[in-house]
This record gives sequence, C-alpha cells and structure tokens, in this order.
Amino acid sequence: MNFVFRNGVLKYVAANYFRSQCTATKLNAPSNRIVHTSSTSYDLMEFFDDKKNWNETNIKVGRAWKLDELRIKSNTDLHKLWYVLLKERNMLYTMEHECKEKVRLFPNPERIDKVQESMKNIETVVRERNIAYYQLETGETGERPVEEVVNLFGLPEKYEKSEYMVPKFMNTKWVKPYLEHGLINSIAVKKFYRLYKEKLHNESRKARNRDYNHVQQLLKRFPDMDLEKLREQYPNVDIEKAMRTKKARGHYFPKY
Amino acid sequence: MSTRWYPIYQRGNPQLRVFLPNFWMKLVHPPPKQLPNTVHFHCSMEMTKYDIRNYLEKIYNVPVIDVRTKIILGKFRKDLGKGYVVKDDDIKYAYVTLPKDTKFVFPDIFEKSKDADEEHLKSLEEAKKTFKNYIHRNKSRPDVPSWFSI
Repeated sequence: MNFVFRNGVLKYVAANYFRSQCTATKLNAPSNRIVHTSSTSYDLMEFFDDKKNWNETNIKVGRAWKLDELRIKSNTDLHKLWYVLLKERNMLYTMEHECKEKVRLFPNPERIDKVQESMKNIETVVRERNIAYYQLETGETGERPVEEVVNLFGLPEKYEKSEYMVPKFMNTKWVKPYLEHGLINSIAVKKFYRLYKEKLHNESRKARNRDYNHVQQLLKRFPDMDLEKLREQYPNVDIEKAMRTKKARGHYFPKY
Repeated sequence: MSTRWYPIYQRGNPQLRVFLPNFWMKLVHPPPKQLPNTVHFHCSMEMTKYDIRNYLEKIYNVPVIDVRTKIILGKFRKDLGKGYVVKDDDIKYAYVTLPKDTKFVFPDIFEKSKDADEEHLKSLEEAKKTFKNYIHRNKSRPDVPSWFSI
C-alpha cells in the first residue's frame, strides 16, 4: 500500500472534479470532464445534497464505476475518486438519516449501493496493483499471510496472521488458556471432536444409503435406463449390485 | 499489506498514513437546545477522537476545536411479527465543537416541500379511477381474476 501511493498524503485534493450525482462521470473523456475552476466550498454543507435536490422525489443518477474503467486510471485519479465517493457516501447517509427522522421517503436509495460498489471496485483495483508490485519486487503477493491452525474446538481453521506487540511464547495471557483448553489434550475438546466426527460420518453414511436406495427405485421404474448416465450421476453407488436387489425388481416378469 | 491492514505503530516508526480511509460520518439533527458551534455526528465505530478530528480537518476542511464521543447501546426489542428479540446496532456519537465565532444551523430540508396532502389526494383519485375502470370492464364476468385480461 505504501508503495502504491508513495506520494499520497491524507489530503483531499479532488475538490475540483465533481460533486453530487457523479458516480458515472468519466474522468478521462475530455468531453465529459467537469472542471470547476471556482473554489469549492469545503464546508459542513457538503454533508447535505444540493439544495435543488432537497424536495425531489426522484433523483436520476448514472451507474457505478466498473472495474475495467478503473483499471485504466492512474493511482492519483483513483485516490481522488475515492475521496469524491467517500464524500458522496457521507452525504447520502446523512440525507437518508434525516429522511428517516422526518418520516419521509429517501429518494432513490440505490444511489448508496452504487457508491458502495464503486468504492469496492476501487479497492479491488488498488489491491491488484499492490499484488503486482509486490510480486515484481519481492516475489510474494504482499497479502496478509494465512496459517492453518487448530482452533479452540479442535477444528482446523484458517487464521489470518497479524502483528503483535509480544512474541507468542512470551504472551502468557494467550498461551496458558490455549494450552489448557484449546489443544486437543483437553477432555472436553476430545469429546466434542469425537461427537463431531460421528455426526459427519452419519451424514455421509445417510447420503450414501439415500443414493443407493434412490438408484434402486430408479432402476425399478425405468428398467431400460441409460446406465452410463446413471453411473455418471451417482458415482458412489455400485449399480451392478443395485440392479440385483429385490427393491430394484419391478412388478413384471423378470428377464432371465 | 492490503488496503485495510496497517502495521502496529511503534515509537520511532514513521507516522502511519491512511490512504483510502473507509470511515463514514453522518451529520445528524441536534436536539433543540444546542450551542451554535456544536455539531452532532454519527460515525464508524472504529473511529477515534483523533480520527474524527483528522477526518473533518483534512477531508472537509472544517476547523475543529474539540471532539467528544460516546457509544450508545442499541435497543433490545421484540420483533413485531415473530416475537424474537432483536438488538439494534450500537451507534457512536461524536460531538464536535467548532471555533467560537462559527455558527452551524442544521438546514430544514423539507421546509418547502410540495403539499403532501395534495399529492396523496391525487394518487387516491388515480386509484379510484382505475378501480372504477376495472369494475366497469368486468361487469359481465364477475368471477374473473384481475390478472386475466389487460
């Protein structure tokens, strides 16, 4: 992250791009480019919609930013767009809250979804670039490392690693209860794990029996069925065995 | 090193920068008696007082003197239809004090909204008219459901 926006600082610089209803305006297309040369009012009034939209019941906006459109933007553009969307989202949240307070209908609530989708797409693109950069420089993705651990219930879990102030072995507050209750040593965990495995086993056994019975019934009702298809659909069932059972024999004279 | 993952700050390290902050804040209506230089917000639960100050100063360019926050527990209530217990979300309130000379008045958004009664009457008239049409059309076939013909 630090590398992608090496020159970025937390400062809102996109003020002269566009304001409300901007979700779909294109930055690069010169015809669509909206550049306000007058100074934008940084104000608490930015938390509210344009005055002309206050009493509207239907506010028309464009669509959300798509991934492909964002991929061709520079980092700076994305950074600016992020703050535009952030302000837009705050504005929409504020208006929605006010409408709720005053028991009014919030016009076009899908605007919030569009902004959120755009923001999600920006994050995806930034992440892609970050991964590409890290793979070039270090050969790793630079993503958060994930480790397979045994959790408190004795089950395998994917643990997303994070930084700690204290190393693991020194962290008595964590180690003691983990060793006492967490590992499979504990009787309670062992019992739980045994019952859990039994449950899983029962489920798979029931599924197997169900399939077997179902195949028998199918064979009874459709004796000339395509066996290859059947085998494909129920790979775990022994079809030859199912054909020989009593259940699979229909109410007709058997062909010997 | 994802966008939402920052290293732990330790003394002497360079200052942590937030490049794509995901915090939200909404400006809410203050109670009737309130000093003119105080603004009420709801904000993301993760925001600290410093975050709120930076957010307003850097993104909205609003000078901030003081920030106070509190977290209000969401109410426990019974679901109207089903009867199970529902807990509303907790809310973080932020009370922001602006400089002494500034004055913020929460705008009256629905001040000059169109006459609501008139609109309601209009839609009622419309509904009456369509219903009349429907009755008229189905005079000779009373049992036919509404979706049967256009």
